[in-house]
Amino acid sequence: MVNIKINGQSIQVVSGKTILQAAHAHDIEIPTLCYHKDLNPTGNCRMCMVEVEGGKFLQAACVTPVWEGMDIRTHSEKVAKDRKMTLELMLANHPQDCITCDVSGECELQDLAYEYKASAPEWGSKGTRYPVDSDPNPFIRVDMNRCILCRRCISACAEIQVRDVWGVAKRGFDEVIVAGAGTTLLEARCESCGQCVAYCPTGALSNKMNYGMARAHQVKKVTTTCSYCGVGCQFDLLVKNDKIIGVQSNPNAPANGMALCVKGRYGYDYVHHPERLTKPRARRYLLEGKDKNDIRDSIRDTRKSNTELSNIESPWDWVETEWDIALDIVAKKFIEIRNNFGADSLGFLTSAKCTNEENYLMNKLARQVVGTNNIDHCARL
Amino acid sequence: MTNKKILYKPVDPEIEKLAQLHGGTHEAALEVLKDLSADHKLNQTTITETARVLHLPAHAVHGLATFYSMLSLEERKKVLRVCDGPVCWLKRASFQSSVISGQSSVIGEWEKQMPDYTVERTSCLGLCDRVPAILVEDEQAGPVEIQDANKVCEGWRGVTTDYSKPRKGEVRVMIALIGKIDPDSIDDALSHGIYDGLKKALQSEPTVVLAEVESSGLQGRGGAGFPVGRKWRFVASEMKTPRYIICNADESEPLIFKDRVLMDTNPHQLLEGMIVAGYICGASEAWIYIRGEYEGQARRLERAIELAEAKNFLGENILESGFSFKIHVHRGAGAYICGEETALIESLEGKRGEPRLRPPYPPTYGFRGQPTAVNNVESFCAVPHIVKNGAEWWRSLTDDPTPGTKVYMVLGHVKNPGLFEAPFGLTLRQIINDFGSGMMKGSTFNFALCGGAAGTIVDDSLLDIPIDFASSQKGISLGAGAFLICDQTVSPIAVLRELLHFFTVESCGKCTPCRVGTWRSLEILNRMVSGQGRQGDTDELKTLAALMQDTSFCGLGQSVAIPMKSVLTHFGTEFAKAEKQLVIASPKGEAIS
Repeated sequence: MVNIKINGQSIQVVSGKTILQAAHAHDIEIPTLCYHKDLNPTGNCRMCMVEVEGGKFLQAACVTPVWEGMDIRTHSEKVAKDRKMTLELMLANHPQDCITCDVSGECELQDLAYEYKASAPEWGSKGTRYPVDSDPNPFIRVDMNRCILCRRCISACAEIQVRDVWGVAKRGFDEVIVAGAGTTLLEARCESCGQCVAYCPTGALSNKMNYGMARAHQVKKVTTTCSYCGVGCQFDLLVKNDKIIGVQSNPNAPANGMALCVKGRYGYDYVHHPERLTKPRARRYLLEGKDKNDIRDSIRDTRKSNTELSNIESPWDWVETEWDIALDIVAKKFIEIRNNFGADSLGFLTSAKCTNEENYLMNKLARQVVGTNNIDHCARL
Repeated sequence: MTNKKILYKPVDPEIEKLAQLHGGTHEAALEVLKDLSADHKLNQTTITETARVLHLPAHAVHGLATFYSMLSLEERKKVLRVCDGPVCWLKRASFQSSVISGQSSVIGEWEKQMPDYTVERTSCLGLCDRVPAILVEDEQAGPVEIQDANKVCEGWRGVTTDYSKPRKGEVRVMIALIGKIDPDSIDDALSHGIYDGLKKALQSEPTVVLAEVESSGLQGRGGAGFPVGRKWRFVASEMKTPRYIICNADESEPLIFKDRVLMDTNPHQLLEGMIVAGYICGASEAWIYIRGEYEGQARRLERAIELAEAKNFLGENILESGFSFKIHVHRGAGAYICGEETALIESLEGKRGEPRLRPPYPPTYGFRGQPTAVNNVESFCAVPHIVKNGAEWWRSLTDDPTPGTKVYMVLGHVKNPGLFEAPFGLTLRQIINDFGSGMMKGSTFNFALCGGAAGTIVDDSLLDIPIDFASSQKGISLGAGAFLICDQTVSPIAVLRELLHFFTVESCGKCTPCRVGTWRSLEILNRMVSGQGRQGDTDELKTLAALMQDTSFCGLGQSVAIPMKSVLTHFGTEFAKAEKQLVIASPKGEAIS
């Protein structure tokens, strides 16, 4: 343990911790941009600079380990002045389009500029250097004008998704984030997981599917578990006017943290699809208690392509019904089959879209209720 | 969805061969790219294929290809690089129409004269004693004016500077053999006592040799002046092996060319120093990271290494001592930032030359994560003499608190510019009058840039302060030992503009204050020198300098503030004039009255 002082407050810290970790553990706020708790710190943005007594230069809190007797000031006049200036250097080349920007309201750059009263200086490129929406990726919207070169996207892609798509090209003022060898994202082996979007502190990387549909304060966030597979990733659904318009990582998700796959993050448009089945359906003849032999001669498939016949009811029609009725039919049929042909004439195939618990119950149903070991799972195919 | 299909086709066998030639690991990336670039084959496809062969992500290789200035993805003919350093600028300033368009007009002239070449600007070539300098493919040339273009096409490369005759007052140790030996002959070197220090060192325990180096008080010659012995003790006391020695020969700072002369005139002295360092630190392998523009010197070192290996000064069981050591030459590809030791290590590992987080420092976690000593060429060159003659002798060379001698460079408007060796503690007046033979005819001293590009700009109030590593406290820095003397025709603002241009081009871009701060400072200075200064410019420059010094990630950004702050202190009135637009668009910055 080492003894340090932050803003006059004496604190004991485990040696090897950084100034930022020590401050966070004691609820002392230090602003950051390139730092994210999930990613290896890089010390690029220089927002978290703090004054250390006796030091020649300011120290970056995110990467400087504490030492015995360290006396730190996180918000001295000098520190605040330098932070404001650093923000102004970023804003000089950042487009002044917060008014139409999708992430306005949850932009870390905007929040810090507000906090430090930093406004865009009259010089600089003001975000005119790169084409807007420059990548054809169907999910990820790229606008490098808004990029502040914090490199969180690079770290997220390399460390979380281990895909290594994003990288940095050129140097100095011309430095720019590119995918692969300066190609499009998909050519650079991007699998569109959107981790980079989730970690981007500005609007440089945003979601294409809901771009311009709503801002942070206009949506209700509903935490839910992903329905695609049994991992149980959690995330927030962004709901506007009772419609799901997007998915956002929930940093508190126990299984996955901020990470999501392309299906979880971008495969939500089925929810409001007009052809989505939301109630059980059964063939009309089953609802009417008939047997297949009774309706053998009725019109079937040809009906659909024939407009004259399309309004005529058929015993083959799928008819919406209640769960109890549908399940009763299934149960009755199962019992019939088991009684007539034996339990092993039945087989059960479960789904990766079910939870572990659901799969377990299905296994019980097969083995204990029906009495067969014919149970399998799509993930094994 | 995109309709593009990713086709998996086998990698070009030529690239596969290149990769194997350079070791086949990720460290080979830069070497492969350099070869591809030399054959004009650097493009997206070859970059992606190189990445596949070396098991690297494509962005890592593309990042390299776009980071180093000597690599280019554009179609090029043979390349002619025109030096854009401040000393060449000062020389060329006489026929420039304007500071800002100046260099591009020079490039235009060269393009007209030499249509077979792609002409590019380049940061200082390290040929400051041969200005104006150019690089024809990989051959250094200078002094070369545009009117010499025909001769250049025919293979003329200017004249080298002769340093064989010492100036009055010189104390020569490291450059004692300039002109006296054939640098490519090891017998010549041996007959002048080179490798005697090594022989002596190998007879003692490494700790004894280390104690000698420590008590000599030798300080690093790269500019920071860190005690060499202390650094080596850190490395030697690390438990991890293998340990490595790296010689920093990435001499890319404007005004500095001493390492080039040292390597060119006496390569064995450097090798000897490195072998002794290896013996002291218990290292097994060493690299000389030499800037890509020093191709001739790199070849000379490679030859010297072969000769030394043949005589068993290098290789297995050196002189039957049981100590084995190897030295490799690694060429950079054009990046000043790679002179920063952690950036150098990154570059050596085949990555972009961006500085690392510190701590850990290289003695604990350096090349390949192993304990590594990184030292300047001149530091290594001093070591054999200390070992041979003893620490006492080294200390007796001077009365200054900093022991030993230093190789200095005096440039600009003095009668006799060039390189010399003398003890520490010279004053600027001595440097100009005693060693530079005084100011040129018609010139009076106006100001001097002391140390290097990242040095102080001082006026005549500091002419009599003895200069050593500690004198920067008094406002005059030693840096790597270069002094650019400017007369009354030169505007300090214009010189600062040249320096900021250099730093802007060479900033790696990793941290915000350096990336944008240098660019903005240059923008202000461009306006000021072309007569478009504005109220508040000086204050903004001061704020930017303070920000870069306080908050930059590495020494590059932090040291940009040194010339900025010093020139603003000494020449505040000039800046005030420029703010009021009293300076016309002249490279020499005469004020309109």
